[in-house]
Amino acid sequence: MRGPAIVFDNVCLRLGGTQVLDQVNLRIEAGALHCLVGPNGGGKTSLVRALLGQMPHSGTIRFEGEFTTPLGYVPQLPDFDRNVPMTVNDLMALLGQRRPAFLGASRAARAANDQALERTGMAGMGKKPFGSLSGGQRQRVLLAQAISPMPWLLILDEPTAGIDEAGVRLVEALVTELNTRGVTILWINHDLEQVKRIAQSVTVINQRVLFHGPAEQIDSRLEVIR
Amino acid sequence: MNALYDFIRDHLQALAASHVLPQPFEYEFVINALMCSVLIGPLLGVLGSMVMIKRMAFFSQSVGNAAMTGVAIGVLIGESYTSPYFSMFGFCLLFALTLKYTQHRTTLANDTLIGVFLSISLAVGASLLLFVSAKINTHVMEGVLFGSILAVDHTDMNVLLGVTVICTLIGLPLYNGMLLSSLNPSLAHARGVKVRSVEYLFVVLVTLVTVACLKIIGAVLVEALLLIPAAAARNISHSLPGLVTWAVLIATFSCVVGILAPMQFHIPVPTGGAIVIVAALVFAFTTIIRGTAPQFRGASV
Repeated sequence: MRGPAIVFDNVCLRLGGTQVLDQVNLRIEAGALHCLVGPNGGGKTSLVRALLGQMPHSGTIRFEGEFTTPLGYVPQLPDFDRNVPMTVNDLMALLGQRRPAFLGASRAARAANDQALERTGMAGMGKKPFGSLSGGQRQRVLLAQAISPMPWLLILDEPTAGIDEAGVRLVEALVTELNTRGVTILWINHDLEQVKRIAQSVTVINQRVLFHGPAEQIDSRLEVIR
Repeated sequence: MNALYDFIRDHLQALAASHVLPQPFEYEFVINALMCSVLIGPLLGVLGSMVMIKRMAFFSQSVGNAAMTGVAIGVLIGESYTSPYFSMFGFCLLFALTLKYTQHRTTLANDTLIGVFLSISLAVGASLLLFVSAKINTHVMEGVLFGSILAVDHTDMNVLLGVTVICTLIGLPLYNGMLLSSLNPSLAHARGVKVRSVEYLFVVLVTLVTVACLKIIGAVLVEALLLIPAAAARNISHSLPGLVTWAVLIATFSCVVGILAPMQFHIPVPTGGAIVIVAALVFAFTTIIRGTAPQFRGASV
């Protein structure tokens, strides 16, 4: 079930008067577990938002191949409003079905959502208010919504930031398993040890692509990150 | 539709005549207003909870104020001064879409921009209404500002019914996308939601509902009835179905009691004011519940 390769061709992006991305050329192979690293403000999240179609940019982003399933996206935790009165089941319903979420989860969606929650270690937490969960638990819920239904591409924006060791291991194991099943992973990551541990390929970005290659070579290129 | 309205009215008036229903049900205009309430309650409840989540409370206030300008324009161009819907819908939609368009093209904070538009709409609306006031009687102005059940006729009921149908057909299928686009636009994009389009559509729906409710609630207070039932529901809800259900019930209850109570007890207050006072009392009650009942203390995180 491998999806297409993702090709960024001469992508430039300006926000206000600031050049955020400058002639980014990058190819992420189908089925890769690829990490994006770089300093804060280096354009990693902007690149992902351009890929999602959220940010106008010049240059092209194209997919080489076909896909039939949607893509999954795990946003950064602070980007999610905790004050909305919403249970975990409500959030899953909001994201996974056409029927208005305030009418409750449809039977079909409920089964898929329960399965996804179970895979992220959140079984039985469906009726808990999303805002009352710990950071790690909320991150797992956001991961669960991204894999229900199974995506061809999973984009993760620092999913293990602020979660405990057990949570980190669970996310790593799940992502690795998804990747072995053919899901392409694009992971924005600050933890170089983790990158070396799990990634196959890595791109270092700071407005431009500074390095693109196998993850094991990252140690020899540390100077470009600093 | 008129036959249906007559059918309902005749039955309720017969029940009032035989003392099964309270005395206010003998009056045609009370039943008209109550029929509107049955539509307004669910509309405002569902939409209001979304307005609260999207933090757009003062947006509807701006649109309500813009309706004053719409009324004035309607009078100036010769529309019926009791139902200048063409001018009201036209001007309010233009106003709301301009606000949204500007919002996407400025770095100003949302509340600042809405504040600017709110002030403009109030200034222009009040000035124009005063300018045309010589052509209309003061009760019309009072009705626009604070609502008047005496003024509700079949045209108003048809407009409200039409808006309800439009909101149901457009709003329900796009509800999840509209909510998600404000919770997390990136996630909404990833899920294939046309974020910009659904935001504009939501603005259109809020504007249509605001204008359609003006006759009952009034331009000054329509925002309160969008917001207060949702805020009261928020006090006692942990879930989205709970929030929307309570908001619908509270909005409908406020409208019905706000219309009937002044009639029953001969209190000379405008409908809009009475409805909002009832909603405010419910809000106070739910705030007390939330402060005292252990299961609701953590309702807000």
